[in-house]
Amino acid sequence: MERRRKIIRNGIAGFLILISLLYLLPYIWMIAMSLKPDGEIFSTSILPQNPSFIQYERLFYGYQFGDQTLRINFPAYAKNTSIITLISLVLVLFTDALAAYAFAKFNFRGKNILFWIMIGTMMLPIYATLIPSFWLFSKLKLVNTYQALILPGVIDAYGIFLLKQYMETVPSEILDAATVDGAGAFRRFWAIMVPLSRPALGTLAVFRFLFVWNDYLWPLVIIREERMYTLTLGIANMEMRQGMIVHGSQMAASFLATIPVVVLVLLMQRQFLRGLTVGAFKA
Amino acid sequence: MASRIESLNHADIGAKNNQWGKFWRAAIPYIFISPFFVGFVGLQLLPISFSAFLSFAEWSGLNQIQIVGIKNFVTMVNDARFWNALRVTFTITVVCTILGTAGSLALAILIEQVRGWLSPILRAIFFLPSVTSVVVIAYVWKQLYNADFGFINAVITQFGLPAQQWLTNPRLALPSLIIMLIWAGLGWDALIITAGLRSIPDDLYDAARVDGASGWAEFRYITLPLLRPTLTFVLVTSVIYLWGLFAQPQLLTGGGPIRGTQTVALYLYDVGFRYHEFGYASAIAITLSIIMFVSSYINFRLVRTEVEY
Repeated sequence: MERRRKIIRNGIAGFLILISLLYLLPYIWMIAMSLKPDGEIFSTSILPQNPSFIQYERLFYGYQFGDQTLRINFPAYAKNTSIITLISLVLVLFTDALAAYAFAKFNFRGKNILFWIMIGTMMLPIYATLIPSFWLFSKLKLVNTYQALILPGVIDAYGIFLLKQYMETVPSEILDAATVDGAGAFRRFWAIMVPLSRPALGTLAVFRFLFVWNDYLWPLVIIREERMYTLTLGIANMEMRQGMIVHGSQMAASFLATIPVVVLVLLMQRQFLRGLTVGAFKA
Repeated sequence: MASRIESLNHADIGAKNNQWGKFWRAAIPYIFISPFFVGFVGLQLLPISFSAFLSFAEWSGLNQIQIVGIKNFVTMVNDARFWNALRVTFTITVVCTILGTAGSLALAILIEQVRGWLSPILRAIFFLPSVTSVVVIAYVWKQLYNADFGFINAVITQFGLPAQQWLTNPRLALPSLIIMLIWAGLGWDALIITAGLRSIPDDLYDAARVDGASGWAEFRYITLPLLRPTLTFVLVTSVIYLWGLFAQPQLLTGGGPIRGTQTVALYLYDVGFRYHEFGYASAIAITLSIIMFVSSYINFRLVRTEVEY
């Protein structure tokens, strides 16, 4: 019996390893293509025969056509994405934590209704607001700006929900003790609640990082100038450069854009898993 | 509790001061939640109301807004492209939800059987697409599907099969898109289902084994019923996600060939941002939102009622 179980288990492991190769293949392809010189791009062998970094160099120094240089502004894309990711992380974590604290530890009139309105906003599809939001930001002369990229993402009901669930588990006695010592509501929030909620804040930070870093639709709508492109927009638009063999450079840019998220998720695996479980039991 | 101690603390301060303090203390939670609600009103509630209003109007963004009643909705009902987009999106949603949920359930259960160092590695690999940008995924797959130098044709011609135009053949483009979507979504759902599996108490399985239940019986009478809340969550979130599908078809096929992969969101984007028919685009947006809402409600009910047999 025990023997049979072991055989089945090994069979399952073998099967999963096979499937996991299917999952690795596109990534292997991406890395291999990014290392191929132009002459090998259309060859059918996966691995490059004469690996070179030319596709990466082009992201920084542009394409050479005789005496012409066609620049791909990859450093600008990377800079833009890093800036908006960083700023929106700070803003989202702060506003979410503040609201979550109010919902978790205060009693106030209308709390239940406001809470359900907030939960309801999670159901709103972005398409319902796309056109008026674009109009609003263009009226405010904010097209092609960081503000326009950052602001819509700061409204994050999911994050408030996640943090509230966690903050409710922080004992109220600690907060009461601080009140007796004369700490005001904001002091209690900043000096006690925020440090104690660090694990949940970490989880949320990973989620928001992924969301902002990989976002595509909103930047597509609101950004029209290349100098303001995010990484996703930049990679998508490399396709449109006519008459150039972009496949290699596109994969090089894709690889560089993917490394930070993969590293982050591997480093923060535990926080990430915790966040997913909270989501699953909401239903 | 906190507020009672606070009022005790301030009891000795003068009456006038006390009233001001009382007001201030009552206002604190509202101040704390105000950033969210200001943003909600400004960036969601007003835009959505405006969208709803626009769906009854004609507007190019430059001219005067003209109220036209239900004209946009009449246009929509008679618009073959809209129905095509609806059919495409519906097909994608149904096929991906069914195959994706079944696949991720199988994947989650199988990975739970693997012990030791192998299991975290497998989990990480299957999860990779969930953290990779959809832009990156779409372009890598576009190359894999490429008819001339793509990997997939290279493999099937090795086996003596004819090379296929995966993305430009109208009969193959939609299945190609669906395969990529399932590939990309499996790991995320499997992870959520794994969390659900682990919340099922072990003694239930132990008891079943004592009674001599088979593996299938365990799955059918313990795993599946107890996993229902998790599966509901996976179903509802993936249905909402798929109805709003935009980036993947836009990047992989551009909605083509001959609109064979044009989803409702893609059509709505074209109408709004390419033809600048904001009124009509809003009508489609409102319809899409209602469809998303209704279908997730139906899903919810379907999975719910099944419990009570």
